[in-house]
Amino acid sequence: MRASGAGPNPLVRFASQIWGSIFRHGLPSTDKVAARTALTNFFLHIHPVRVKKSAIRVSYTLCLGGLSFFLFILLTISGLFLMFYYIPSVDQAYQNIKDLQFVETFGLVTRNLHRWAAHGMVITVWLHMARVFYQGSYKPPREFNWAIGSILLVVTLLLSFSGYLLPWDQLAVWAITVGTNMAKYAPIGGPYTRYVMLGGRTVGQGALIRFYVLHVVALPLIGFILMVIHFWRVRKDGFTGGL
Amino acid sequence: MATVVGNGGGSGDRPGARGRATVPGRQGVTGPELATPPLVVRRREEEETVVTFPALVYREFLAASAITAFLMLVSTWVNAPLLQRANTAITPNPAKAPWYFLGLQELLERFPPVMAGVAFPTFVIVGMMLTPYIDKNPSRRPQDRKVAIVLMTIYIMLAVAFVVIGVFFRGTAFTWQWDRLLGHPGVHPGT
Ligand code: HEM
Repeated sequence: MRASGAGPNPLVRFASQIWGSIFRHGLPSTDKVAARTALTNFFLHIHPVRVKKSAIRVSYTLCLGGLSFFLFILLTISGLFLMFYYIPSVDQAYQNIKDLQFVETFGLVTRNLHRWAAHGMVITVWLHMARVFYQGSYKPPREFNWAIGSILLVVTLLLSFSGYLLPWDQLAVWAITVGTNMAKYAPIGGPYTRYVMLGGRTVGQGALIRFYVLHVVALPLIGFILMVIHFWRVRKDGFTGGL
Repeated sequence: MATVVGNGGGSGDRPGARGRATVPGRQGVTGPELATPPLVVRRREEEETVVTFPALVYREFLAASAITAFLMLVSTWVNAPLLQRANTAITPNPAKAPWYFLGLQELLERFPPVMAGVAFPTFVIVGMMLTPYIDKNPSRRPQDRKVAIVLMTIYIMLAVAFVVIGVFFRGTAFTWQWDRLLGHPGVHPGT
């Protein structure tokens, strides 16, 4: 729609003025309009105006980096809804999850979505790493972006792991017990590391609040900042492009 | 005919220039990628470009919609697990880490804890971050990268194998069992 295309009806003209003030350029009727739209739109600005045709072939990225990011957004949104109902207390957490499953409207599907998207993100990030490796896309000048990516992989695993404890059921508590037992074996300060992770010697209230804060604030924030840098560098270095 | 986009230091018109180029007159600098800003060499005949919007945005939208639809379907039919309320007095047998850490748990079964739980993961993470600095082979063509590809493939296959073993073949006390796949009288396979 063109901003200047004012209709005879004052109401239509008013509406089109509002529309035009939000979306400064119309739908991409020509390459020029499309380029200007991409340049002036905040959300599209993450992309360059033009890309190599070979770089956006689905067979090249397999959409994996993009899908990882999209799953991250989906997890943020579904997680936000879960937060309205979830209280990180050993006395209440399990009941909150039960309520989500059986009482709250759409609670069950929201929880399922959050869980399966989390597993999905672990898989897509892994596959994204594999595709970047096999295509040699980590070679100069992208060495450091690969390193940032490696940290993102670790953050993704930790996000998933920290969320695992929150339902406070047998699966959660024992998976975290087994997982954190591994930290005990560090030659220097192993048991201490585990104590710091759990806020105690066993998985209890101390561990729950720590994992909760890590899961809903610290790790998403770290992940988001790293993603911003990751995307910035992809944007500056350009896509590697076809082989 | 190659066209150089960006400030490549004026060395772009070498036929067949690909990736980064060294800048003449800056020989003192050892890392050419530090001396030269990212250089994009685009060959007119091969590297046709398209406008991002709508060409790429359209695909992103499709991919996002597809995965949303897929996850919604899965979430409608398959419920996330929720067992009994946590009880530190009852240890489930086997106690398993989440699947993406089962590779580690598998290693713990086979190697001394300091190696499996600490040395090995550290080695993998640090090694992964250093990969681009270790692999100095400039070529991206698969036929020039046989060693790298073989090593990575072995690593991925091992990682996947360990997860599959952990999920499907580890039963009571984390010992090897076929029950989960083949079933067992009176016991439901899978968790
Ligand atoms: C939360 C996790 C991650 C997200 C959201 C993410 C996102 C992205 C996106 C959207 C791209 C653009 C190309 C594409 O879609 O494939 C990209 C490129 C890239 N990623 Fe990631 N990534 C993540 C993790 C990783 C990991 C684990 C690595 C490697 C260890 C990595 C290394 C790279 C590199 C080197 C590029 C540039 C590839 C090229 O130019 O062809 N990223 N990433």
